Amino acid sequence: MSLPHIENLDAAASRMTLALDIGLYPTDVLYGAAYIFIDRAYVLLDKDEGEGRSGRYLVHLRGKTALSEDQLRALSGEFANELLSQALRRKVVKANQKIIEEIATQAISGAAGGSLPNDFLAADDDGLDFLDDPLGIAVPWEEKFKKKKDEPAGDKA
Amino acid sequence: MSETTPTAPVVIKLHRALYMQQAIKDAAETFADFASFSIKRDGGHYAVAMTDISTESDGDVVAEFCNFALFNTMQRKRKRL
Repeated sequence: MSLPHIENLDAAASRMTLALDIGLYPTDVLYGAAYIFIDRAYVLLDKDEGEGRSGRYLVHLRGKTALSEDQLRALSGEFANELLSQALRRKVVKANQKIIEEIATQAISGAAGGSLPNDFLAADDDGLDFLDDPLGIAVPWEEKFKKKKDEPAGDKA
Repeated sequence: MSETTPTAPVVIKLHRALYMQQAIKDAAETFADFASFSIKRDGGHYAVAMTDISTESDGDVVAEFCNFALFNTMQRKRKRL
């Protein structure tokens, strides 16, 4: 069976142990699922290398708050779902590894000021220095609109 | 340092295939104010003996330590990729 098997459940202590087949779940998947539960439960991982068997992962979970038997069973179901989700995520990442790497490379080279098209660079070069101010933007307002000394104060009729 | 009472050491067994030694040491360093630690190899496991466990701290020091050791292991393994 692919679902984790509840090895034991102790509702009084809010804890249970799940057993997973090592052959079905890679360690990364197990870590990923355990990580999701680390804020809600105390997680202890173990390995049961039985003789003549492929072995099992044992996941000991104990709620940080008191949990009933139903809640513990629900937690085990959530853990199973998370294992599947992590397994799928791993598969998708593996399948798209090349695309992901290419996008990341392009993004990094762009951020690092990678090469721009030559015509764009040529159009941008207007021969101006950064201190040049052909539109008079840098002229202070007072200087631009100050009244001349002999100019009348305005019509106050 | 938090208040402690002399208690029998608690021994936790962390499987060597699932927990990294350095990650356990880092977790022990984090919890140094709450307990004393000694880490030994015991077959396929690391046997972590915790003594002088703080009685003042909120929560379960032993279980929190295990969560930290697991989290540190995940982080270290991810960095290796």
